[in-house]
Amino acid sequence: MEWYLIFALAAFFVCIAVLLFHLFRVISLGNPRDLSSSTGNPKAAMPYAFVGAMSPTKKESAFLYLPTYTAGIVYHIGTFSALALFFIIIFDINLPPALSLVLSGLFIISGLCGFGILIKRIIKSQMRELSNPDDYISNLIVSIFQWASAGVLLSETLLPVYFLVAGILFLYIPVGKLKHTIYFFAARYHLGFFFGRRNVWPPK
Amino acid sequence: MKTLDKETIEKGLKVLNTKDNGKLLTHLNSCVHCGLCAKSCIYYRAMPEARFIPATKVDLVASIYRRYATTTGKIFPALTGARKLDVKTAEEMVDLLFGACTLCGRCTMHCSIGVDISYVVRKGREMLSEMDMIPDTLQKTVDAALETGNNMGISDTDFTETLEWLEEDLQYEVNDENAKIPLDEKGKDLLYTLNPREPKFFPLSISAMAKVFWAAGESWTLSTKMYDVTNYAYYTGNLEEAAVITQRLYDEMENLDAKKCILAECGHGSRAFRWEGPNYIKKAYPFEVITSVELMLQYLRDGRIKVDPGKNTDRVTLHDPCNLVRSGGVLEQQREIMKMCTTDFVEMNPYGNDNLCCGGGGGQLAMSEYNERRMKIAELKAEQIKATGAKVVVTPCHNCVDQLSQINVVFKLGIQIKTVAEVLADAIVLDENI
Repeated sequence: MEWYLIFALAAFFVCIAVLLFHLFRVISLGNPRDLSSSTGNPKAAMPYAFVGAMSPTKKESAFLYLPTYTAGIVYHIGTFSALALFFIIIFDINLPPALSLVLSGLFIISGLCGFGILIKRIIKSQMRELSNPDDYISNLIVSIFQWASAGVLLSETLLPVYFLVAGILFLYIPVGKLKHTIYFFAARYHLGFFFGRRNVWPPK
Repeated sequence: MKTLDKETIEKGLKVLNTKDNGKLLTHLNSCVHCGLCAKSCIYYRAMPEARFIPATKVDLVASIYRRYATTTGKIFPALTGARKLDVKTAEEMVDLLFGACTLCGRCTMHCSIGVDISYVVRKGREMLSEMDMIPDTLQKTVDAALETGNNMGISDTDFTETLEWLEEDLQYEVNDENAKIPLDEKGKDLLYTLNPREPKFFPLSISAMAKVFWAAGESWTLSTKMYDVTNYAYYTGNLEEAAVITQRLYDEMENLDAKKCILAECGHGSRAFRWEGPNYIKKAYPFEVITSVELMLQYLRDGRIKVDPGKNTDRVTLHDPCNLVRSGGVLEQQREIMKMCTTDFVEMNPYGNDNLCCGGGGGQLAMSEYNERRMKIAELKAEQIKATGAKVVVTPCHNCVDQLSQINVVFKLGIQIKTVAEVLADAIVLDENI
């Protein structure tokens, strides 16, 4: 086994271990013990929190910032697809050449979307004020990972670089805000629970 | 330069270390600083500066959490912007968490991730409360409630005298000498609460609700001992004081042996008692708690009150109190009442769960040091009202009434501001109810 593959796999397992720690910690802490009498239906609010409430028609953070929102969606689709590709490569699954080409195109575009968001963070003074180094690093690493994914689909000679980038990403995920991979779902859950109990979500 | 002693810092940090549930941990770890919450905040809209972006307020609290509770924050604080809890940070927290947030929760609903921003701000206020850094102006309101039983410090004599003349007015208006504003009567179906602004500044809203009760033939009472629906300790973040105030109303329900507690038209008061109260005193209520808005709609639906919308022909619009609507789920009831009791009801844009806060929430009305900011953010509400062309703005919240009254003067809107009960009382057809 090549050193770069060992590095990437080791980093992956460290990443998974830390993320699982976060996941189990937040699950084990559980829901707030709310003694008030619920007037709503949290079970109906949960799916709404994850789907309906995320729709661009419902969210100002989406419809007032449509280019950034769209770039963010493409960026995240690219991220999750690139993570899926990691396993495809690890398990040595051959993709049809046409699909590889399409995927590499997606990763170039999604990486550009991520990079665009990074540029926005750099050039807008208010975004700079809001940001810390982790915000820039996280954005950059994920964008580079997507481009590396595009590259490895186009040329296998880039495998060492690809695994090196993947390993760095996996080691970085637990360090900073990329942990929102876990906490995003927990946040939507808690929001659904809160607004559901109070009959605010789902909207009538 | 002033410093914070170790004990004070530890008291503040203790709030972040609570491990009762996963909610705080989740929301402290979720913000990605995308900044897309900016325009959901009335402060940012009125004053587009980075410090007013809701994410900045979240980060003030979350950065302290990162500094003291995460490995990265402890080893490389600069990497994640982890901050020490020192005087500078604490003063910034006071300015932004107390002075630049009405806890309206609009940003929460629109956050791209789902961070409960308002909840994190409240946790920040809890920290400051533990550190004894609550703005004096706000704390005085809580102190008044703790010392006198109501947040305006109204004496029992003034209160009962006010109710006596209101009762005389009611008897005259409905032409029934048996019409009463009952006080401290045991075994009634309902204990009705008040916002102390009512006896102090807006007694006609008490008359209006008394007329509604009279028309519905309700079995109800007020309490002289504990009628205050407000709980400003909800705003200060002092959970012990919030529990004391909650417990008083709980005790009065038991003392008067009332079946149901009816919360007056007060956004934060209804939230503090109905939703937060059981958690403050750590026990569920053995009695039912509903808002007067819900009760009034029940009367109308059950046919206990007959109304004539022709008695309210001016154009009417509704202002939605954030705590009652966005965080309380009482959204359609007041609209249904308006449609039954007025002939020309129009909505603001946006409204309901998306409505803009009037600017009076979060304790802002009590904190005079932030008056200038409060009236700056109020311009958004003034523009919303103007756009409706309404002559009457109705809102089921006395804090909102107060802020809207100031908006009315400052922005020369020439409108009337009413509570839901006042509109309903005006629409009541007396003959059919006698």
